Amino acid sequence: MEAGGKHGTGMSKETANCAVCGQSLGEDGRCRRCDGNSHVWTIQDWRPLLTLGLVIVLGFSFTRLVVNGFDAKRKVLAGQYYGAGLGAMTAGHPAEAVDDFETALLYSRDNFQYRLKLTDALLASGATGEALSQLHAFREQRPADAQVNLKLARLEAQRQHVDEALHYYQNATEGVWPEGSDPVAQRIGVRLEEAEYLVRLGRQEQAEERLMALAAALPASSPEQGRLGDLFLRNGDPGRALSAYQAELKLERDSDAAILGAAQASFAAGSYATARRYLVELRTETPESHALLEQIERMEALDPFARSATGTVRTERTMAAFRIAVDRLAGCGVPFAQALSRGEKIVSAAGPAQWSEFAKWAEQLSPMMSERRLRGRDDVIESTMRFVFQAEMAAQKDCGKPALNDEALLLLARERLGAN
Amino acid sequence: MTPRIGQSRERLAQLMSTPVRRKYFETLLRMLGPSGLVSIREEQFFLVLAIAIGILAGFCVVLFRIAIAEARLWLLGSSMHPSAPRVVLVPAAMGLVIAVLAVRFFPRVRGSGVNQTKGALYIYDGYISAETVVGKFVLSALAIGSGQSLGPEDPALQIGAGVASALGRWLKLSKERLRLVTPVGAAAGLAAAFNAPITAVLFVTEEVIGRWSAGILGAVVLSAISSVVVERWFMGDEPLFRVPLYHLDHAGELVAYAVLGVVGGVASLVFVKVIKHLRPRLRSLPQWSQYVQPGVAGLLIGIIAIWYPQVMGAGYEWMDLAMHNRFPWELLGIIAGLKLVSTALSFATGTPGGLFAPVVFMGAMLGAAVAMAEQMLFPAFAVPVGAYALVGMGALFAGVLRAPMTSVFMILEVSGNYSIILPVILCNTISYVISRGFQPVPLFDLLSRQDGLDLPSLEEERGQTALLVEDAMHPSKVRALRGDETIRSAREVVAGGGEEAFLVSLGEGRWSVLGREALADPATDDGLAVRVLVRARVPRLYQDQSLEVALRFIKDRPMLPVVHRDNLDLLMGVVSVEDILGAYRRAGLPEPETTESS
Repeated sequence: MEAGGKHGTGMSKETANCAVCGQSLGEDGRCRRCDGNSHVWTIQDWRPLLTLGLVIVLGFSFTRLVVNGFDAKRKVLAGQYYGAGLGAMTAGHPAEAVDDFETALLYSRDNFQYRLKLTDALLASGATGEALSQLHAFREQRPADAQVNLKLARLEAQRQHVDEALHYYQNATEGVWPEGSDPVAQRIGVRLEEAEYLVRLGRQEQAEERLMALAAALPASSPEQGRLGDLFLRNGDPGRALSAYQAELKLERDSDAAILGAAQASFAAGSYATARRYLVELRTETPESHALLEQIERMEALDPFARSATGTVRTERTMAAFRIAVDRLAGCGVPFAQALSRGEKIVSAAGPAQWSEFAKWAEQLSPMMSERRLRGRDDVIESTMRFVFQAEMAAQKDCGKPALNDEALLLLARERLGAN
Repeated sequence: MTPRIGQSRERLAQLMSTPVRRKYFETLLRMLGPSGLVSIREEQFFLVLAIAIGILAGFCVVLFRIAIAEARLWLLGSSMHPSAPRVVLVPAAMGLVIAVLAVRFFPRVRGSGVNQTKGALYIYDGYISAETVVGKFVLSALAIGSGQSLGPEDPALQIGAGVASALGRWLKLSKERLRLVTPVGAAAGLAAAFNAPITAVLFVTEEVIGRWSAGILGAVVLSAISSVVVERWFMGDEPLFRVPLYHLDHAGELVAYAVLGVVGGVASLVFVKVIKHLRPRLRSLPQWSQYVQPGVAGLLIGIIAIWYPQVMGAGYEWMDLAMHNRFPWELLGIIAGLKLVSTALSFATGTPGGLFAPVVFMGAMLGAAVAMAEQMLFPAFAVPVGAYALVGMGALFAGVLRAPMTSVFMILEVSGNYSIILPVILCNTISYVISRGFQPVPLFDLLSRQDGLDLPSLEEERGQTALLVEDAMHPSKVRALRGDETIRSAREVVAGGGEEAFLVSLGEGRWSVLGREALADPATDDGLAVRVLVRARVPRLYQDQSLEVALRFIKDRPMLPVVHRDNLDLLMGVVSVEDILGAYRRAGLPEPETTESS
């Protein structure tokens, strides 16, 4: 290859045409179309171009070779540091894990999993601001990524930014999950988490809405039925909770957790007999189940209206309930109840006005509190128990936490009167 | 070679017997040209060559980046927090090795690659020796990999320019093209190093070529694009930094950014002043000290790095962390200050490496620091730290390197984030104005003058007053003659005046000049039109054109017409050589500086 000198070189003198564009040349020997000062390149020897092409091919191959080797090395290093980071997290050293994950990212900058783990480590080490910044940066890149949205939701929930948290939970529910994971299961998990967050916040209506939608979407065979039951129960819907537990029990008949949940749901729904039946089925007793069973037994022991109760038992239970209610009021400083506890005469007008009706009622009932006088007097038993229930309910408002027996009476009151 | 090609062509012609085949063959022959060989103009070939330069420079820069990373692994280990003995000893020891190699074997690798490339363009006819390229590659990789506070972009630029120079010499390009090939390679090198083609094109135009030249722009763009394609092919196409999208919610936010512009401007000024004073002092020390200066710089940097490892190397990984709230604002401020000291030490001692990365590092740290400080002072104010860090990078780049357009596009390209443009423009402008106000000579010009070179500078050209045609022109005493009027009428018009030449309007914006002698020639029939006396046309000028254009066109003509752009036959005035020289005299422009006065 060589430069052919000034423009016009390489042209035929007979035709006086430009070698570049073929136009006729002017009087000065220059082409009117082309720039007169241009050099003309005539490729008479292809070797330089071929050599250049060869150099590029060789350069490409060599660079590829070097880059491959280097990438492999980086991958190994990244894996090592990532492993060390996971180890540090497991060992409860999030600060060390942060360093390790950051170094892993130095060698594998685009590894999304490493970045997510880094945010976990940052959160664990208290660097919320940086974790949030990282997550927002990820979200810019992958707005539909469910993992990122879920982490953001958790972080915003932690920061008590409820609206933002719910927004990200929603995005996570609709987002894209990584290949290899079960997206349906993941979405159910997110919805359960969101519902749990709402239950924790006490947003009963929103939570109920989410839970009902979830109940409709959740297959009967889902292992998450128990968790759904827990959430319904915590959200004050024992009926649906019981259905969920029963669905889980169909899958796993011996699940103690599901049995206990069903018992609690039945208990909360006022089906104490059903609750007792579930509790009896438990293979392993837990403090929770034990306390629940005791409470049911206590209720049974104080219930004069139980079908199995004989006349004597009914009178005994009525008298015991009256005594417990009076003691509860006495403990609360109600004068008539204190007087009654001490065996003194009741002065109904004494004390605060709110207790005066109770004092009059108690004044009428107290002489009847003997086995002989109560026997066959269902009307007095009925009236006494109404007094007991109302006194317990009034005391619940004004006199603090009830004792176990008072609680049992309150539950009986709820069962009989339908009151909370 | 030619006869063989000719024989092959004949054989091919015999093969092309069918009409369709013949048609294609004839097309091919036309492409091969009249002499049976490919004939293309050099500028066309130059564009093809620019692509090849871009590809080769891309390979070199990819290998260069890997060499730096390998050197770092080998010398400092794989951890982001190397052990204290390594941190102290490695930069010092490698500094000594680099100094010996640089002084003994590669004396031209020291100093700024930008200026050396510029020197190749303006002084050495595009010549950059192969040993300079090899030296720059090896020594810069060792220096940056061992923790010297320098970046890879400046060496990459020179490596690209060196590759282009070697290729140009090998292909026996004309002297003019050989000279131009170095900025083409420089753009390719910088584009691949920054993964930012527009930035590279603008920077090379602003800083290396020093002027906008249509003749070379196409080649520069092509080489930058091809090198970035190569770089992305091997290293991926992710932007250098990832920050959340920025949204300007309220115009008042720009006030907060302006604070960053001021901080960036002051920091730029301090950095340039430190380099300006430290470099000549270190260079004036005895010759033997050249062997130890990089080692001493390395030792000092190593000592700083025991507590602040962020100051070592280019520091891109730390910039990413700073953008994501990783450090408190006090620490960010300290790191920025220490980086300034470390970079000044590394650069002023002549350790090979560039300033781009350290400058953007300082900007990122300062930007994040300002953001966090503002957040602390005004908790209700949402301050995106990542966005501030990015804007800070641009502010320092504009202030130190004094390439305002490049700095804006650099931020857009390295972040892939256009939404940040308003704060970037504002901060860069403030920083640029502050830096320029207190340090009129830009850093690269300062360095070249310290090296005894006086290279042209676009930055200085910006400051010069451009004289226009309107500054020199004056109204014509005699009205312009018309080409269609009679010679008799023309003689009446010019009678009595002392002018020796007159403008003739030939219509449709065409003008000519006629001498009094030709007009007064009695042998000419005075009933003829003035047009018959006209020998050649003259170019017309406009009031807003520079006087340089007028000077280029006027040649030995007595005058040129200045016409209205909207009406090319409307004469606004005339300009002569005397007028032009008079305008320059009146303007009293300062003579160009040859040395920087402290």
